[in-house]
Amino acid sequence: MVRFGLASVAVMVLGIAIYQLIHVSGIEARLVRALPAEIDRDPKLKKYARSVAPAVYSEHCAACHGATLQGNHSNGAPNLADKVWLYGTGSISDIEATILYGIRSGHPKAHNLTDMPAFGRNGQLTQQDVQDVVEYILKISGQRSNNISAERGQAIYAGAGVCYDCHGSDALGVSDYGTPALIGRDGDWLYGGDRNTLYKTVYDGRHGLCPAWIGKLSFVQIRALAVFLHEGSHHD
Amino acid sequence: MIEPLSKAEPPGSLPSQRRRTSGSDTSISSNDFFDFSRTDSRRSFLLLALGAALGLAIAGYGLFTAKGTSTTRLPPEDIALVNQKPIYRSDFVIQTQNLYSVPFEQTTRPQRRKVLDDMINEELMVQRGIEVDLPGYDPDVRTALVNGVELQMYADVLAQAPTEEQLEAYYDAHRAKYSSIGVMRMRDLMLNIRPDEAAPQRSERARKLVAELRNGASLDDAFMQLNGLRDSGALMQSGKPDLGDIFDFAAQAKLTPKVFAVVNQLPAGQVSDPIDDTDGIHIEVVTERKAPKAQDFEAVRMRVWSDIKTEAQDRIRNATYRYLRSKAEILASVAY
Repeated sequence: MVRFGLASVAVMVLGIAIYQLIHVSGIEARLVRALPAEIDRDPKLKKYARSVAPAVYSEHCAACHGATLQGNHSNGAPNLADKVWLYGTGSISDIEATILYGIRSGHPKAHNLTDMPAFGRNGQLTQQDVQDVVEYILKISGQRSNNISAERGQAIYAGAGVCYDCHGSDALGVSDYGTPALIGRDGDWLYGGDRNTLYKTVYDGRHGLCPAWIGKLSFVQIRALAVFLHEGSHHD
Repeated sequence: MIEPLSKAEPPGSLPSQRRRTSGSDTSISSNDFFDFSRTDSRRSFLLLALGAALGLAIAGYGLFTAKGTSTTRLPPEDIALVNQKPIYRSDFVIQTQNLYSVPFEQTTRPQRRKVLDDMINEELMVQRGIEVDLPGYDPDVRTALVNGVELQMYADVLAQAPTEEQLEAYYDAHRAKYSSIGVMRMRDLMLNIRPDEAAPQRSERARKLVAELRNGASLDDAFMQLNGLRDSGALMQSGKPDLGDIFDFAAQAKLTPKVFAVVNQLPAGQVSDPIDDTDGIHIEVVTERKAPKAQDFEAVRMRVWSDIKTEAQDRIRNATYRYLRSKAEILASVAY
């Protein structure tokens, strides 16, 4: 009788394992196959993505973006918990594309149209020019600035500095290039929005990187991460 | 009344012994089936079959769902498989969005179909190109392939930006590289060979000539002829001595290492000691000299940046060639 019981338990455990295997592979397939908008409407998929993504994020992303998605000024890793996205609109598929191929990662499909040139170091702008541009950015971002210098900076922004070409003449940034908005950032800057940091950014340039995770993470992990980050940035 | 024993059973045998001798008895109960203290060929066969079926199922699942081996079903991450080559769903979504400039959800089914067809067609053309061995004979394809592989090799180098510390360390270690180019005006003179003159006498004549030149003797034709001197030919233009500015690197390329080593140390207006080289005795006269000047780090920062990257690329390229050659079977003719 005892043996019969043991055998029954073994069969049950095996059955549960097989069910789990089929169920998990089934939901993984559904998660990867689903259109981004479908995931938003499917609580089961979102729940599964939430169960997978945090561990992946902690292991692979948190070192740069911070444990709570808050970003890191020291390396220019953006805050992932706000609604601001450099590339695209922050949709699941946009986020997924960035995770898959990275930013300036060296992958042929990476976001790599431009980076922030070293205007001062390259000699394109003088130190005074850089200072003026910084005052202009401080002004339009709602910080205290020197008005006379900022006026000169505005002319440089729209002229010799060619800043408008990437950041837009309205300074709202261009998502195709991944250039950040310079106004309405509410203190949320990639490297910091204070006078000294902005000066360094314009003078020395910036070259932010995000690795390509295709081949290093599974498609399920990448999709789950994209869903997780999308949720993290679209909470109200 | 006493029940008679069967003929086959020895008298006195117990019921359990009787069961043991009838292993193939089909009337065995379920309790007997799980009695592992007894041999039961039916149970053995059943468990064996169960194990084999389970093994086959697991192997089959693994085989037919493993990436690249699936022949009957589409992996979830792919929107299409073209001769087992995947077209990723994510690439399809991105391409559709890029083409129609709207979120994927707002595209119509025919629009998606068109993008998918285009991607499949492209994949087919790429596969066809490989099939007809385009890289084997088309120079454009070969160049594109080489460039593509190089880009892949250099991906990490191109992606990484050297830090300030790395730039400065490189500059410090290669200061000689970051100097302005030196310029000089000079004559590379040689003593003519006189048949009646032994080597010690020729050396003595060279020393005297050097002394005369250092005392201000003019290097005109008469002096040259009288003293058996000539321009070496290394720095001649149209049969006449080149009296213009010569970059240091040009002088280095034209003179022998031994001679250039001496010239490089001479300031303007100086005459060298006689230099006994393999082709004869040289006397170097430097009339003007702008020595190379070390450039400031800030002035050459971009060059340092580019040199670091170039060196890193060279290292990777050479390592890759070594690795590829170690794996390749190369038969090359020695007659070239």
